[in-house]
Amino acid sequence: MERAFGARWNPFAQLGALGWFCFWLIAGTGVYLYIFFDTGVTAAYESVESLTHRQWWAGGIMRSLHRYASDAMMVLVLVHLFREFAHDRLRGVRWFAWVTGVALLPLIYACGVTGYWMVWDRLAQYVAQTTTEWLDALPLFAEPLARNFLDSGHLSGRFFTLMAYIHIFAPLALLLFMWVHIQRHSGARVNPERGLALGTLAMLMGLSVAWPALSQPAADLGRVPMELPLDWFYLAVYPLIDRYGGAAVWLGGAAVGTVLLLLPWLPPARRPPAAVVDLDNCNGCGRCFTDCPYGAIEMVPRTDRAPYSQQAQVDPDRCVSCGLCVGACPTATPFRRAKALKSGIELPGLRAAELRDQVVAMGGALATRPRILAFHCGHSAPLPPSDASFGVVHVPCIGMLPPSFVDFTLARGHADGALLAGCRSGECHFRLGDRYTEQRIAGERDPALRERVPRGRIGVSWRGMIDRRRRRADLSAFREALLREAPAAPARAGCRPAWSFVAQGGLYALLALTIGAFSCWPQYRQLARDEAVVKLSFSHAAQRVEPCAALTAAELARLPINMRVRTDCRRDRWPVTVNLMLDGRLLYLGTHRPAGLHDDGPSTIYRRFAVPVGPHVINVRIRDTGRSTGYDYEARRGVNLQPGQSFVIDFASSGNGFIFPVTKE
Amino acid sequence: MGLLDWRDDFSIGIPEVDHEHRLLIDLIGALHERLVEQQQGAGIGEFLGELHSQISAHFALEEKIMRSRRYAGYPDHKQDHERLLDEIRDIMDGYELHGRYDAGELGTALETWFGEHFRTHDARLHRLRGGSHA
Repeated sequence: MERAFGARWNPFAQLGALGWFCFWLIAGTGVYLYIFFDTGVTAAYESVESLTHRQWWAGGIMRSLHRYASDAMMVLVLVHLFREFAHDRLRGVRWFAWVTGVALLPLIYACGVTGYWMVWDRLAQYVAQTTTEWLDALPLFAEPLARNFLDSGHLSGRFFTLMAYIHIFAPLALLLFMWVHIQRHSGARVNPERGLALGTLAMLMGLSVAWPALSQPAADLGRVPMELPLDWFYLAVYPLIDRYGGAAVWLGGAAVGTVLLLLPWLPPARRPPAAVVDLDNCNGCGRCFTDCPYGAIEMVPRTDRAPYSQQAQVDPDRCVSCGLCVGACPTATPFRRAKALKSGIELPGLRAAELRDQVVAMGGALATRPRILAFHCGHSAPLPPSDASFGVVHVPCIGMLPPSFVDFTLARGHADGALLAGCRSGECHFRLGDRYTEQRIAGERDPALRERVPRGRIGVSWRGMIDRRRRRADLSAFREALLREAPAAPARAGCRPAWSFVAQGGLYALLALTIGAFSCWPQYRQLARDEAVVKLSFSHAAQRVEPCAALTAAELARLPINMRVRTDCRRDRWPVTVNLMLDGRLLYLGTHRPAGLHDDGPSTIYRRFAVPVGPHVINVRIRDTGRSTGYDYEARRGVNLQPGQSFVIDFASSGNGFIFPVTKE
Repeated sequence: MGLLDWRDDFSIGIPEVDHEHRLLIDLIGALHERLVEQQQGAGIGEFLGELHSQISAHFALEEKIMRSRRYAGYPDHKQDHERLLDEIRDIMDGYELHGRYDAGELGTALETWFGEHFRTHDARLHRLRGGSHA
């Protein structure tokens, strides 16, 4: 990826920032779409259709961008999550970003799902039905939400207003959480490199024009949508809900979520001690404060008698022990008196004095020219073992190395060349080590490497954990350059080979194709070709367990004056037992408890059955009294089910009992 | 009597900076005396390193103060800092290389530099500070 995009544009190093970019893109297009969106059972669909077709050159492209950017965001976020996990960047202080990041997932999901809902085409119908069934698996709502989508008579235009609000509110909440997500990162990257952003936009634009997002036919609650082009980035769990039920998917989701949230604390966890400040060597210059990538250092009023106004203070809970602060400290220089060498801020795990001793010892062991001393970060690709011409000093992060150590190594003749071997460019395990190092060598950041240090004798090698081969190649190249005494030209971003642009284009195309394809393919078949659906759904309050008793005058007189009602009713009701037969075969038999703390509410039922098409006799019965046998209501109906038909059996005790759809036989 | 003596007109009125200026002048004086007494004494190189480190830290603090006060002469002043640090490093290297050091050279370098630096840059910072106080 880095070779195709170049180090500066490597998308893997800025997945989070790309996510932010997608968010703004979705927000921008969303505002435009909202201007033209109507909230209403038929108006919603029509407004989206007219936007897509009559205004294809603007609204249509906006709509497609809106969808594809959402898909891209999901992909980016998941890859981001996976990479942070794979690089173990979630422990210690990083739990915060990890946990808030995981919490973003359901929000992103909610944004996506409500978005698909609003179009009110067949897919939206499926999403609405399944989402409500899914939510109904939670004991939250007294009446099943899914009952809203039995037939168009049950559906109100206000519902779309509600959806629109949720679809606006959820992204705002998402934005808030995204902001919280980056709170503990100083200088968090929320904007990708401009070139990469433009490339991504171009890719999504191209996809939108070549493969515009279109609606399915308008929703028809009387029919079950048969073949659904699911957006698998968002709706992949929906077939699971169909198959295993909402409760199972909730449990599964909760289990996955819990594991994800606990990951930062699961073994193997190890944590080197946090940085400490040595006040005798700290004059409060604030360089460590400026450079700490985790905001773990604060400048506070002086606590000793020294006539300085400030001192650095480390918050151990936020410190990751990367040592970038040591690299920034002007007192961390090996030229000092060895006995006195104590840096203003130190890593207890590797103090400046120890680092100096290691350089001297390692350098002393080198005999064969060119003698190379490598400073190696353990989060990056390994180096070959030390030998007579090559020694390694390990540091937690290359950014921990104060530039004066490089000067010291070369000027004092401890080695002929110093190789700085760290993580892949832009992907420092501690975020900013490689960037700081490059800037310090280039003299753009304090403390800068002395100008007179021959740059030709400094090698850099930014290689990720798996790049062993190229790391060895870097070492050999550096060795040869030292032999020739020619400055090794470090491969810099900006002089990319021509093929890499082609590769970059190819990768964009591949990603676009992936997004385009999985946003509507493979199609999901909810129902076999020769099946229809019978839905049994009603909400009915059964009879009370005891009839109301009339109070006698004497009983009334005993009651306080404000409680004298003529009848005394116990509140609890009988459960409702339902029996549904299809062609004399039992399809469903169940007993439903009344809602309410006192069992005084209605019993509700919502069940969906796939049945073969053709003529059937449906027999449905209800018991809502305390009788032990027999039923209180019964209805029998002959019906000829068509493929995909949705046959709804409702019930209202006030009318004629059972309500069947008007059949056109 | 050292190479350089603290004079009240060196004061720029920022206590922490004045404090470090005094420390540095003392340190330079101590170094000079040491050199005069035992020309090729041991540990001179490290003493120079100590001086270099303290001056670096001092400059870092001064630069922070200048930035926080949006001192207009900051780039020039900063460049001057780098120049002195570079010169001291050269002297350090020279000492390491030749095992000896020219007291006159260091004295002149430091004196000229400090005198000049105080007179021009720090004084300007001083004036700026006085101005902002008024």
